[in-house]
Amino acid sequence: MSQTLAMEWQKLRPFGKTSRTVALTIGLAVSVSAIVAAAMASSASRMTLAERASFDSIGISLQGVNAAVLAITAFGVLCMTREYSTGMIAMTFLAQPRRLRVLGAKLLTHATVAAIAGVGACLAAFAVGQALLGAEGLGNGWSSAQLPGALSGGVVYLVLLCAWGVALGGLLRTSAAAITWMASLLVVAPVIVQILPPTVVHRIERWLPSQIGSGAMSAHADPHLFTPWVGLAVLGGYVVLTLVAAAWRMARTDP
Amino acid sequence: MIEVRQLTKRYGPHTVVNDLSFCVKPGRVTGFLGPNGSGKTTTARMILGLTEPDAGIATINGRTYRQLRRPLCEIGALINAGAVIPGKTAIDHLRWLAAANGIKRQRADEVLGMVGLEAAAGRKIGGFSLGMKQRLGIAAALIGDPPALIFDEPINGLDPEGIRWIRTFMQDLAAQGRTVLVSSHLMSEMALTAADLVVIGQGRLIAAESVEAFTARADSSVRLRSPQLEEIAVALAVEGASLWRNGDALEIVGFSIEQIGALCARVNAIVYELSPQRASLEEAFMQLTAKVCEYVPTQPNSRLPTQREAAA
Repeated sequence: MSQTLAMEWQKLRPFGKTSRTVALTIGLAVSVSAIVAAAMASSASRMTLAERASFDSIGISLQGVNAAVLAITAFGVLCMTREYSTGMIAMTFLAQPRRLRVLGAKLLTHATVAAIAGVGACLAAFAVGQALLGAEGLGNGWSSAQLPGALSGGVVYLVLLCAWGVALGGLLRTSAAAITWMASLLVVAPVIVQILPPTVVHRIERWLPSQIGSGAMSAHADPHLFTPWVGLAVLGGYVVLTLVAAAWRMARTDP
Repeated sequence: MIEVRQLTKRYGPHTVVNDLSFCVKPGRVTGFLGPNGSGKTTTARMILGLTEPDAGIATINGRTYRQLRRPLCEIGALINAGAVIPGKTAIDHLRWLAAANGIKRQRADEVLGMVGLEAAAGRKIGGFSLGMKQRLGIAAALIGDPPALIFDEPINGLDPEGIRWIRTFMQDLAAQGRTVLVSSHLMSEMALTAADLVVIGQGRLIAAESVEAFTARADSSVRLRSPQLEEIAVALAVEGASLWRNGDALEIVGFSIEQIGALCARVNAIVYELSPQRASLEEAFMQLTAKVCEYVPTQPNSRLPTQREAAA
């Protein structure tokens, strides 16, 4: 297994390209968080006292992570589809004929990069968000007891979605199909669900990956969503199911 | 040594490889010949564990590909030189292969030098010509210094200089005692490169023998020129020879030169030329695979019926 890991690690080198993915993930998180926080700060003067009291400083500061997931998911998807679309997967299987080890190694190496990018993205987005909100007296996040939970929730969310990308890429094998599915689940599904009647929304919403992510990174519990760690466990379930399907297809059908 | 025993692969109703058995010995270049679609690539992929056979087994030194612990050090393969990520540099492509089987890093530079690509080490593969990609593919096959090698259609799309380079390169590898299996649909190329042949048609084994033995199987004809062709032709036909007119000469099959000479003397015919016509590997291949060719084009210039035939 160590050689298979060495192979996949070596494929991520030279790190120029990989570090661009990390930079893109952090950049997206920071810029979207900055926009949302700045917008909130500008309307702070019109807030009532009650609104100020219930203001989710942590959740707003981490809004950018929802954009960063797109970059980290594509990173996971491409590690599989790039090889299947060029045919290079055959070379990979010549070097390591035990295909499930290849899947495992890709998962581990990419999850590692996603964790590094995730820690960077969550911390940077949070810091920038707090700085902008702090100017209006809304930056009370640093002292919050919920902060460690929200930050680690954000990192786990990013790592899980990267792993989901790897699994979906292995299952579908083409970049277009896998990225369309991912974008539909993360971006389109939440919009469509909002059109439904409220009673239906409350029942469905909690199963959406994007809502699980928001729930995990928020300081306030939403009664219609899963609690943060239950939500992430549900998301982990999706990832495991997709991985099983991908492993089955990888082992059974020839590249 | 590469051994294939009763290998069978079906795709739906098509049996692509049918009960195929052969053995590739070390120290010689073995040509793997067959028309397009005869199952060469599928067989190579089954030996390499990329395609699961429906029946039979392929082994490399007694073990299947999936049983090999460091496969790149046991058998090298060039199956599709274009199957690389275009954004990677040549050296990075070889480095991940080396890492995959615990091969030392410098070996990537070594094999690039062996195929004459050291100057292109840092260039992206996407900008490589077909010939350079083939060389890189060969470098990748050699990364683990394996005692056995499989090259699938290595000369496709190469210029004459590249073809000659690959030919001598493969012969050198065999001379070092390695097992070398080269698939091709170009018979003339195999006549120059290979010592042994494995010939298949529609997934079945047609022949597995030396190039000489294979060529000898084809019908060799005798060419005869004479001012009395008609008399000789009649006499030969009576004796049961099959013959046809070729310009001002007669081509005879099934009789030796001695027999024909004696017969000409019997009918008192003057003979200008009596010469053996050796079948080439190409002809031998065409004759032996004619019956099993899958895609035979209809003759484009087949003779139209003459007016008289049409009227009749």
